[in-house]
Amino acid sequence: MPEPTHILLVEPEPMLRRTVVMTARSMGMSQVHEAADNAAALRMLHARTYHGAVVAVGCVGSGAERRYDLGLVDQLRASVKAGQSMPIAIMADQATAQLLNELRDRQISRVILKPFRAKVLLETIEKFGELARKP
Amino acid sequence: MQVAATPDNESARLAALYELLILDTPPEERFDKIAAFAAAEFDVPIATITLVDTDRQWFKAKVGTEVCETGRDVSFCSHAILDPGIMVIPDALQDPRFADNPLVTGAPHIRFYAGAPLTLPSAARLGTLCLIDRVPRTLDALELGILGTLRDLVVLELGKQKGRQDA
Repeated sequence: MPEPTHILLVEPEPMLRRTVVMTARSMGMSQVHEAADNAAALRMLHARTYHGAVVAVGCVGSGAERRYDLGLVDQLRASVKAGQSMPIAIMADQATAQLLNELRDRQISRVILKPFRAKVLLETIEKFGELARKP
Repeated sequence: MQVAATPDNESARLAALYELLILDTPPEERFDKIAAFAAAEFDVPIATITLVDTDRQWFKAKVGTEVCETGRDVSFCSHAILDPGIMVIPDALQDPRFADNPLVTGAPHIRFYAGAPLTLPSAARLGTLCLIDRVPRTLDALELGILGTLRDLVVLELGKQKGRQDA
């Protein structure tokens, strides 16, 4: 039996998060570890190795200074346990030119835009699990 | 139109339903949120949390309809509670059980129906979390899994309801 794969899901909306975690479990997909915010995600990051991450990113700042907060993505990439090559998908309200520019250097596997659907997140998680199981 | 059979455990099923003291209660956010999430996730115009009473089906939560209840004789959910699995009707017009059902030939013009039975630990199936569309469609395995999860969340809330009545 193959080793289970572990995916980190960072999403503030409880219903979406629970639906993804419970469905992944009931369908025997990767084990999904849920975090409601960046602080919880960072704590979990030190606890184990993950094979992929799906991260909701919010905006910080206001007016012309308003931009997506990619701090957690940077910390995931810098993490020894997570490694540089872990696939990461981000969830964002909209794909701005600035966001796409900032993602270019961060090796983001997928950008998921609103409306966020559990099915899309689960398909992404399944894909990350398959990548991890590849020899 | 085929009227659904009565479940073998009908008296125990109705006793379990009445014990919850939930019929004809006002809308509650905990159930409304699940119905709203289901409608958005599956992109359907109508989603309900339906409880099947003696002669009617009553909606504890509803999206896309203002109706509070309909007769049990025309109810799709009465068919869905006869089995533990999710009942999917891809196109009601092609299904002899439902083709001339007034909910198909008239408003809300049901074509697609999927109902996940709300099964208590006692095995009583009180009703369904159901999705309705006005065009034919199907659900793949992942979508069935998601609908099953949302149904489980409804059952968890019904379990809390029972806890409240027992306290």
